[in-house]
Amino acid sequence: MTETVIEAEGLGLRHGRRGAWALRDVSLRLPEGRVCALVGPNGAGKSSLLTLAAGLARPTEGVIRAASRETLAYVAQDKPLYPQLTVGETLRMGHELNPGRWNAETARRIVEGGALDPDARVRSLSGGQRTRLALALALGKRPGLLLLDEPMADLDPLARHQLMGVLMADAAENGTSVVMSSHILTELEGACDHLLLLDGGRLRVFGPVEEVVAAHRLLTGPAAASGGLAAHTVVETRITGRQLIALVRPRGPVDTRTWQTAEPSLEELLLAHLRSPGAPVFAPVASHTAQGVRA
Amino acid sequence: MSTLALKGPSWVAVRQHRRVLRAVAGAVTAGLVAVVVLRLWANSPDATGRYVTGPNHGYDLLRLCVQYAGAGLRFLPPLVGAFVAGPMLAREMESGTWRLALTQSTTPRAWLGSKVLVAASVTVLGSAALVGVYRLGWARVSGTYWLYWHDQGPYEASGPVLVASCLLGVAVGALVGQLIRRTLAAMAVTGLVTGLVLLALGSVRWSFLAVETASMPLSGSTAQLLPPSAYLTDAGVLTTTGERLPEYTCFAWDPEVGACKAVTNVTARYADFHPLSHYWPTQLLESGILLALTAALLCAAFRLLRARRG
Repeated sequence: MTETVIEAEGLGLRHGRRGAWALRDVSLRLPEGRVCALVGPNGAGKSSLLTLAAGLARPTEGVIRAASRETLAYVAQDKPLYPQLTVGETLRMGHELNPGRWNAETARRIVEGGALDPDARVRSLSGGQRTRLALALALGKRPGLLLLDEPMADLDPLARHQLMGVLMADAAENGTSVVMSSHILTELEGACDHLLLLDGGRLRVFGPVEEVVAAHRLLTGPAAASGGLAAHTVVETRITGRQLIALVRPRGPVDTRTWQTAEPSLEELLLAHLRSPGAPVFAPVASHTAQGVRA
Repeated sequence: MSTLALKGPSWVAVRQHRRVLRAVAGAVTAGLVAVVVLRLWANSPDATGRYVTGPNHGYDLLRLCVQYAGAGLRFLPPLVGAFVAGPMLAREMESGTWRLALTQSTTPRAWLGSKVLVAASVTVLGSAALVGVYRLGWARVSGTYWLYWHDQGPYEASGPVLVASCLLGVAVGALVGQLIRRTLAAMAVTGLVTGLVLLALGSVRWSFLAVETASMPLSGSTAQLLPPSAYLTDAGVLTTTGERLPEYTCFAWDPEVGACKAVTNVTARYADFHPLSHYWPTQLLESGILLALTAALLCAAFRLLRARRG
C-alpha cells in the first residue's frame, strides 16, 4: 500500500476577499516516493499550490493534507535566505532549526560542489550560488517531501544539469517525494515520473507520466474525417490544409485506415492542453488509491 | 556577545542581529565612560591646578549631557519597538525569508518566541544598564532646574519605568510587525503607537497616588508649605467655607492681608504636592501598568500568529 504525501480536495485559494482565484477546485493525491513535475504557464497557480502544500497559506476553500513541517522542505521561487549570514552560518542555522534531523554531510557536499566559500556572506552570492545554498538547506533537513518552486531558473545549463543530478540521486537514495515546478517542461522531462499541469488555477492533467502519455494519441488524417473523432475524447484539433491533426484520448479502437496514430511527446501533449482551455481534465485519481497521508 | 550557549531559533535571532547587539553594548559602554569622565571633570581641579571656584565647565557639560540624555532616553521605547517591528519581523515578511523560517522543524511559535525573547532580554539588560549610567550622571546634578526627580526626562530615565516602557515597545513591535508587512511602515506605526501610549500614561501618572495637601495662614508663602524636593501640582488660597481660589486672588491686596480677607473670605493658603517619597511607588505603579499592557499585547501577538499559521 502506497502512502500519500499530498492529498487535496476541492482546494481553492483566493488572495483577498474579492481577489481573483489563484487556485480553484484542485483535487489530487500524490503517492509517496514520486518525483512530480508541476508545470503550467506563468500565473497558473503553481506557486500557490506549493505554498499551500508547505503549510504557509491556508486554503480559501477545500482541504489539503501534506507532510508535516518537520518532514517537508520547501524552496521558494526567490530562494529566501538571510543576507547577513555567511554560508557556514546558514548551514549552522539548518542544524539549529532542525534538531535531530539535520544531516551536515549532505548539506556540505552540495555546498562544496559549487565551490562556495563558507565565510562568504549570503548577500554577496550569485543567483546560482543562492540556489545551491537553498537546496543544501532543504536537503540537509532530510525531508520526506521536497517542494521546489522553479528551482533551476537562475542556473546556467551546466550547473542546472549538475544540481538536478545531485537532487535526483539524493531523492532516489532516500526515497524522497519531490514536487518541482517549472514553466519550462524540458527542465523537468526525464527526471519526473508524475506530471501535474495547472492552467488558470485549475488542474488540467495529473497522473504518472507513462499513464498520461499512454492515454493520448496524436492522430493525423484527412480533414473531412473529423466527424469520426467524436468516438474519442478530443483535446485539440488543428487543420493544416486538408490535413487534420488531433490529440485525443481514445475511448476505443482507433480507425487506423483513416488515421495515422503516433504517441505524442510530453511537450506536444502539454501544449495541446494549454491551447485548448476547454479540453476535459485528465486525472485518473482511481489509480492512486491511498490510505491517509504520511505525517 | 557570546552565542555559544544559544540554541535553536534564539541562535538564529542573535546571529541575524548581532551588529545591533554589539551597537547596544557599545552605546552603554560609551555612555558609562562619558559619565565617568564628566563626573571626574566636574569634581576635578582645572588645568592650572586650582580647584574650580567660578564657572565649572565639567559640571555644566555634565548637566547638559544629563538633560539631553533624559530627553533622548524618552525616545528609546519607540526606537526599540520600531526595531522589533521592522528589521526583526516585517522585514522577514517583506523579503520572504519567513517562508524559509516557517518551513523548518521548529514551530512558528518558537520562531516568534525566540525573537521576542532575544529582544526582551537585550532590552531589559540594555535599558537597565542605561538607567544605571543615567543615574550615575544624574546623581551629581539632580535637584537642580529641569533635573528634579519629577521632571520629564529624569523621571522616565532614572527608574524601572524606562525598562517597562522599552518592553512595551517590544510587545507593540511584535504585534504591529505581523500586521504590517512593510518594514518602514511597521517601524513608523510602532514608534507612533508606543510614543502615544507613553504620552497618555505620562499625562496621568501623577494621578496614581493621591496628592498631599498642606495649608497655612495667608501671611506665609507657598514655598514654606512644601517639604524639600516636593513636586507642587497645585497651589492657591482657601476661603472660610473651604472653597479653593487661585493664588492670584489676593495679589491686589498684598501685603494688606486683612483687606483681602474681608472682601473674599480668604483665610489660608494651600498646596497640593507629591513628596519625594512618591517617586518609587509611582515608578512601580507605572511600570506595573506598562508590564500588564505588554503582557496583553504579547498575548495578542501570539494569538494572531496562531490564527494565521496554526
